[in-house]
Amino acid sequence: MPPEPGARRGGRVPTIFAMGGGGFTMEPGNPAFDDYVLTLAPAREPRICLLPTAGGDSEDQIRRFHATFDDQLCEPTHISLFPLGTRPIPLRDHLLAQDIIYVGGGSMINLLALWRAHELEEILREAWHAGIVLAGLSAGSMCWFEWGITKSAGRPQPTRGLGCLPGSNSVHYDGEPERRPCYLAAVAAGDIPAGWGVDDGAGLLFRGTRLAEVVASRPGVRAFRVHAVDGVAVEEAVEPRLLAARPHADRTTPLAVDELRALRAARLGFRRG
Amino acid sequence: MTRPRQIVAFGGGGFSMEAGNPHLDEYVLGLAGAAGRDRPKICFLPTASGDADHYIVRFYRHFPASRCESSHVSRSRRDCGTDDVRAHLLDQDLIYVGGGSVICLMGVLRAHRLDVALREAWEAGVVLCGLSAGSLCWFAEAMTGYHGASRPVEGIGLIPASNAVHYDKEAHRRPAYHTAVGGGMPGGYAVDDGAALHFVGESLARVVASRPDARAYRVDKVGGEVAEVPLPVDYLGAAAGPEPALAA
Repeated sequence: MPPEPGARRGGRVPTIFAMGGGGFTMEPGNPAFDDYVLTLAPAREPRICLLPTAGGDSEDQIRRFHATFDDQLCEPTHISLFPLGTRPIPLRDHLLAQDIIYVGGGSMINLLALWRAHELEEILREAWHAGIVLAGLSAGSMCWFEWGITKSAGRPQPTRGLGCLPGSNSVHYDGEPERRPCYLAAVAAGDIPAGWGVDDGAGLLFRGTRLAEVVASRPGVRAFRVHAVDGVAVEEAVEPRLLAARPHADRTTPLAVDELRALRAARLGFRRG
Repeated sequence: MTRPRQIVAFGGGGFSMEAGNPHLDEYVLGLAGAAGRDRPKICFLPTASGDADHYIVRFYRHFPASRCESSHVSRSRRDCGTDDVRAHLLDQDLIYVGGGSVICLMGVLRAHRLDVALREAWEAGVVLCGLSAGSLCWFAEAMTGYHGASRPVEGIGLIPASNAVHYDKEAHRRPAYHTAVGGGMPGGYAVDDGAALHFVGESLARVVASRPDARAYRVDKVGGEVAEVPLPVDYLGAAAGPEPALAA
């Protein structure tokens, strides 16, 4: 029986995993972040729902999500907002029944605008408070902070996020270096609060609003604490914990994949709805 | 010479809904060509579809470089083209807004202040057109899109009236629109697939259709009752008899 929507389940702590870049959409062949995300929810077979909103519900993002998670010990679904008129889904009920909500990359401005238009902002805050793990990369990382640096309108510029986490976030810190000067200038000028610059392949795990750990899907990447000191932006590098590579051919699960698929097929769900 | 403000709002139709029936697209192309440019500048906004790749490709197929100078603006992808979208839109002869979710469309337009840019383009005489969500967005209020429950949503408001599209598609559309207008939504226009409203300024100048049986209606609350009046429709196909200079 699904848990009561909105109720915090079994003392789960509000959890956000914010990736500078990486995971199934950006690191094909490197399952480190995708595996890590699944471990964050204390459920044997976590329900994980993709919100591909920032990418305009791109079919490619949805396909990669299912290609990654359909064979794992989890229950993957996705919600597309653009075709919602043709395929209605009870948004609040579905999202609050998840263990993990995974927000894909794309345009941060569009993401926030589309969530607002569908009244998803409050639902996601409710999900966070209930201890549903909120994970995402790029726009899907910055959206949880008060401010992010978006390139949605061309040149990098600060834009507001949901503000579950205090401070600011700039992603692809190494991969898209043009964001960095904009971020440093905005923090130095006090236009946006201090925060985190995060490389592709690095991710910040927050329990509540406290940073619990910084992890990496590959060697050589970092996150930076960015704050203003006397009107100058200062970056302090944080060395992440490198996630262990998945051992080859040893992904033993209690159920065979075929059996799992058969079970899933028998269930009613919104998958590929 | 100042160009008139013009909007052509399709109830449904054009290249994305009526494969092989070019009438509505030819009609707007004719209006764009009237500005005098050899190859009119046409910009596609696939916003309501989430900037779907296949939709953008189909647009370029139907509006090839041999006939027009085509472009598109996408705000979901990195390859969104120009930084200065406002200047780009103002430089067009025709802006073609695709179908999809009007709620998503309005959310994205407002977030990027494209609603303001489109109003400026309209005032500057750039012809605006679109189908489905790309029709609804021009009106003050509209009934949401396609299948399932239809509900009122606020548009950009260039035309001070309401709009319902795909009116012939599903039986519940008429009662839903009548209920909304009866309940205080401004009166307006209900349009079948294949019919299109051509506004000059804020006034309806003509209703055109790509199919002989496509209809459009004016719907108003009159003395406590909702009244629906069919509008005269000009079929753009060969059987319609003499056609104005647009075909030339």
